[in-house]
Amino acid sequence: MERGRRLGYAKICIFLSLLLSFVRHLSALSITVNEMECVYEYVLYEGDTVSGNFVVVDHDIFWSSDHPGIDLIVTSPGGNTVHTSKGKSGDKFDFKAPRSGMYKFCFHNPYSTPETVSFYIHVGHIPNEHNLAKDEHLDPINVKIAELREALESVTAEQKYLKAREARHRHTNESTRKRVIFYTLAEYLLLACASTFQVVYIRRLFSKSVAYNRV
Amino acid sequence: MSGFGLFILTLGLLSSVAQSLRFDLQSGHTKCISEDIKSNSMTVGKYSVVNLNEGYPLPDSHKVTVRVTSSYGNNYHYGELVESGQFAFTAAESGDYMACFWVPEQKPPVKLTVDFDWKSGVAAKDWSNVAKKGQIDVMELELKKLFDTVSSIHEEMFYLREREEEMQELNIKTNSRMAWLSFLSLLVCLSVAGLQLWHLKTFFERKKLL
Repeated sequence: MERGRRLGYAKICIFLSLLLSFVRHLSALSITVNEMECVYEYVLYEGDTVSGNFVVVDHDIFWSSDHPGIDLIVTSPGGNTVHTSKGKSGDKFDFKAPRSGMYKFCFHNPYSTPETVSFYIHVGHIPNEHNLAKDEHLDPINVKIAELREALESVTAEQKYLKAREARHRHTNESTRKRVIFYTLAEYLLLACASTFQVVYIRRLFSKSVAYNRV
Repeated sequence: MSGFGLFILTLGLLSSVAQSLRFDLQSGHTKCISEDIKSNSMTVGKYSVVNLNEGYPLPDSHKVTVRVTSSYGNNYHYGELVESGQFAFTAAESGDYMACFWVPEQKPPVKLTVDFDWKSGVAAKDWSNVAKKGQIDVMELELKKLFDTVSSIHEEMFYLREREEEMQELNIKTNSRMAWLSFLSLLVCLSVAGLQLWHLKTFFERKKLL
């Protein structure tokens, strides 16, 4: 009787361990990309959905226009390119992992100004019927719970994307405000200088000491 | 009771399964990863240098210096020339927290791979403790996790809404400021032109040309 309960407990542990291994969490991290920055993420099961997003958070731009964007290249452990985004200032991606292993996510900055990229990568696994058949402790309800968890993860991912884009918009707005004020004041100054120059020049044309007869 | 011990042990073993981010670090270079953390939220980070030769110990040159700072410059964690480590703290101020990794310059230049796992907020919560305290079963634990996730999504929505409101106010202010400045520039232009005319007129009258 005692041994039976122990075995039961062991089975629960194994089952729980399987369940917990489905969870992959990453927070939205930012890195500064000078030319090329790569991060690696391990995918445990083949067929897992890898989803994520990235947003280029602009630095304080004063003179130039918007940064043309960076490229993202996702490479599978076999060396094939699984996903590419070119010249985007923010993008969402998701793909089904063709095999398990270490996937490489590379951000490439084609221009010389360093940019800060805020990214989020999530690897999600939902146990399917094949796993259900193998382990009798895996309830169909756990599949539903895993699906629910994946759906909530996608909401969280979207929120992180929106938050990063909001930060980017805020940067752009603040720099616009500063630029408006600066350019307007510069315009006034320039106008005043131009008109003073005009007056001084005309006075000089009419002054007796300098070529009176020219006029 | 030992069955429950086994349960906790399995849970403990699994929480240390690497589910993390990896990046390369050249000797002499610094790489910084930053994250926006809200105040009063728990954050946990674990880092280690990956040993590419299994079975052999890591050479002495493969050690990193780590520093975790807040956006105000307060130092939260410092590890000098370590192979692995972890940090956990409750964020006192909200803002961008930066974890910087640095490898000292060496000849020949060596490339390290660092495994880094940084969780904050809901993901940082220690579920093994919750399970231990309540003696709750698996399903309930999973549902508790889902509930926590939903609460954090809800809170995040409020935060986003607030930020959007602030930005809208900023935009309205910029808009009205631009309108005022354009009007003012028209006034400046007209007044400068008027001044010029008046000044030149008196000048020519004085010179008896007009």
